[in-house]
Amino acid sequence: MADENKGLVAAGASLVWRRQRVLWWVYAVNVALGILGAAGAHTALNKALKYSLAGESLTKGFDLGMYFELTDQPAVNLMRSAGSSMLFALLFPLFMVFVVGGILAVYRDDRRFTAGEFFAASGSFFWRFVRLAIFSLVPFALLGMALSGIRRLSDYIGDRVIAAQTGFYILLAGTIVVVLLLLFVRLWFDIAQVRAVVQDERRMWPNIWKALGISWRNRLTLFRVYLCISGVAWAVLAIGIFIWAKLPPTATPVTFVLPQLIILTQLGVRLWQRASAVTWYKRHAVEVPADTVEFTTPAPVELVEPPAEPLANPAEDRPEPEEGLAT
Amino acid sequence: MQSRKLVLALVILLGSVAIMWGQSPFAPNVTGPLSQRVVAYQIDAKYDPAKHAVDATETLTYHNLTGQPLDHFPFHLYLNAFQPSSTWVHEAHRDGNFRTSDFGEAWDPKHSGSNEVTSLEVVGVGDVTKQIKFISPDDGNPNDKTVFDIALPHAVEPGQDVVFKIKFHAVFPEVVARTGYKRTFLLAGQWFPKVGVWWNGAWNCHQFHAMTEFFADFGTYDVKITLPKNYVIGATGVQTSDTDNGNGTKSVAFHAEDVHDFAWTADPNYKVVESTFNGSEGAVKIRLLTYESNQSSWQRYIDVMQGTMKRFDDWYGPYPYAQITVVDPPHGALEAGGMEYPTFITGDTFWWAPKGQKLFPELVTEHEFGHQYWYAMVATNEFENAWLDEGINSYTEVKVVDSLYGKNTSMLNWMGAQMGDTAEQRSSYLGVAETDPLSRPSYQDMSMSAYGGVTYGKTATMLLTLENIVGEQTLQRALHAYFMKYRFTHPTQEDFLRTVNEVAGQDLGGYWQQAVYGTQVLDYKVRRADSTRVDWSNKDAPDEKKGETTYETQVLLQRLGDFIFPVVAQIKFDNGETIREKWDGRDRWKRFVYVKKAKVLSVEVDPDHQITMDRDYLNNSITTEPQRAAIHKIASYWMFCTQFFAQALSWLT
Repeated sequence: MADENKGLVAAGASLVWRRQRVLWWVYAVNVALGILGAAGAHTALNKALKYSLAGESLTKGFDLGMYFELTDQPAVNLMRSAGSSMLFALLFPLFMVFVVGGILAVYRDDRRFTAGEFFAASGSFFWRFVRLAIFSLVPFALLGMALSGIRRLSDYIGDRVIAAQTGFYILLAGTIVVVLLLLFVRLWFDIAQVRAVVQDERRMWPNIWKALGISWRNRLTLFRVYLCISGVAWAVLAIGIFIWAKLPPTATPVTFVLPQLIILTQLGVRLWQRASAVTWYKRHAVEVPADTVEFTTPAPVELVEPPAEPLANPAEDRPEPEEGLAT
Repeated sequence: MQSRKLVLALVILLGSVAIMWGQSPFAPNVTGPLSQRVVAYQIDAKYDPAKHAVDATETLTYHNLTGQPLDHFPFHLYLNAFQPSSTWVHEAHRDGNFRTSDFGEAWDPKHSGSNEVTSLEVVGVGDVTKQIKFISPDDGNPNDKTVFDIALPHAVEPGQDVVFKIKFHAVFPEVVARTGYKRTFLLAGQWFPKVGVWWNGAWNCHQFHAMTEFFADFGTYDVKITLPKNYVIGATGVQTSDTDNGNGTKSVAFHAEDVHDFAWTADPNYKVVESTFNGSEGAVKIRLLTYESNQSSWQRYIDVMQGTMKRFDDWYGPYPYAQITVVDPPHGALEAGGMEYPTFITGDTFWWAPKGQKLFPELVTEHEFGHQYWYAMVATNEFENAWLDEGINSYTEVKVVDSLYGKNTSMLNWMGAQMGDTAEQRSSYLGVAETDPLSRPSYQDMSMSAYGGVTYGKTATMLLTLENIVGEQTLQRALHAYFMKYRFTHPTQEDFLRTVNEVAGQDLGGYWQQAVYGTQVLDYKVRRADSTRVDWSNKDAPDEKKGETTYETQVLLQRLGDFIFPVVAQIKFDNGETIREKWDGRDRWKRFVYVKKAKVLSVEVDPDHQITMDRDYLNNSITTEPQRAAIHKIASYWMFCTQFFAQALSWLT
């Protein structure tokens, strides 16, 4: 492996970089859906502003008063376009469910796939990942309910104490906990996906519980990696919005490019997490020679669970395989 | 009557004592009386924080200056509005909510409040408690107990006084409609029995409505409030004494003159921040009652008060009182925010309020201080003509905050987005542009949103639009004249309109008919703007050449709405020439034709964007070349939002 001696975070980044075609294609689809989602708004705006000076206050600044008039005008009805935007936005997760099998196979093999190979891999895992996505809704929904409960609790307590910040801090602390748990759930199901691809696991129900066991036993290592990469995503988003707010209102080309960089980073970061998970799994759970993989009928591999305890520092040295760990 | 002399003597004594202690209710350069004092209230109230209730005795001396005998007297009992079958709740329920309180569903007992007169004695007549008769002059609702009438066995002759001795028990709701409690906080507004106003030959004492609530006579107030001694208290007027009763309570007395209402607030957690405004009548104390949590807003409150008071002093007239109390309600008590009483206002803020977002606390504080002029001193009948109060105040709000924070950024200047207060007022007006005339009694407006959009937004945009005819400075002078002439009186809308006519030196009747008495909508459109070659029929004409080919340019303006208003149109040509044309707007359309060696580039009605009543800005211009910058900008934002939402959703997979 090319990144055998790198830390997981660096190895994941390196893998995303080497297989950057994946990122560009995912980004291209996101852009295409964004364009389609904005098409209705573009048409409505075109109708209202193409031969009008009314848009000047939106070009020379961002006059919310004029923007609200645009949204309120029955003839323009900008908000009607929101429905189609939402629809196109919803297509993207469906697309990701479809291609994530192919993406993980590319990362597993760390080689360039032909379109046929890629879509064959995507197709072969599609229904498995649909099932995983459906299963994952349960913990996500539970955490959503927990967040709602925390919000009610913070309102209840905040309403009864003198210090105005109390409710906010309760909500903040609760939200941080829920976000961390959400990240763990994401990690858990990512490992389930990786496990399904690397080991060609077909039974998703037992796969979920095995992935949970793996994720829990190695939570320190894996969670640290996910948290670190998520931190990059949040930092880029915050910096991007900060710069965006500081840009002169007339800098339209820059205000187009900057948000696109933010989107590209967000997508890249997500792939980075997946690449890191694949790298970890390959190092510590099982290795599958790339040339043995059959996408439509993957070669059976011995099912071996990862080590019970997290590794002290997987970035420095690959540890000696424990007993029962296939190498 | 015998007791009148006694009461007057007591009032004079208390006033003298207050002045001796340096507690005059007026600014240093002012001496009263400033108004024709019709009423003198003395109230001794005890506040029970555990029950959120007040037990009080009230002595009201009413001086009959009406010129005719009065044999009955109506009183407001506002706190009875907070009962499920009251007119106030009925109106709030009809529209679903009142500010942040939900009245759309089942009655929530926390909103309950009441005011019970336990004893009413008329000096010289005796106990008349049993003769209290609730009346509903506005809607006949038999369950509404916000107004009662008391008939006297013999009339009070002109020039005579009558003294009412009233005992009452007031229970406050959890804060709603700007009165009530929240935790240890209390805002006591509309809390005592208050007599109606004899106006235009009849008693004017409306029920408490969801949309209107103010009209009262000027007079003096001496109010003593007993409450736990750890409480910090603020009220209308100035504090004249603070006595420790030795039993864990204290009694704090306040004195106010030439005001028409009295409100107070108390909370043991208040922090007091003080500042001084040096106006044309001398030093005025700004007393801010706030909380530790809102420390980031303390200076913002003071700054906006200083800036606002300076502008009102310069533009409209002096603030004559010694003090203005500003209340910053605690968190969760948003309902108490944004309220005005004489020399006493409530602001609004959050501990996290971002600085460029001017709604909290700046805009609210400015607006409420403005009411000291357009309510507290120029005491119009808010029930019937709220636009003279809220509306004129919204107009002056625009002028003041634009002056303080910039014309296009006075409402919002945050994260690259901007909005001026003019746009805010216009936005609220556009949604209800044709529902109600300003002249309609405000409580009869179609809905709460119509009341808000018409009373606040339409008045502000109507006056901003009027600047196009009379000029901004003239309108400022008119408001100054109106304030100076009618302060401490009860003017009508005709008084205001006449004053503007006089100062402007114009008969603006046509404008008032449409803007105040009518519901006409103002909407102008550029229907056509194009240039064609004059030699279009000549097949052998030379090729087009810029600067040499002659074109005939047709410009067609159209009046879509029924509101007739003179407009200016700006026509730009591709040789750099710009022409401005005036059109009186009387006909439905107007054509302008130009023959020039230039093609038209754009035509715009109201190029300076000053006709804020124009319902549709989007049809005010036509260009001959596509204008794509704004389209691309908004579409790219839209695209980004779609993309971001899409990638965020994909995180779940």
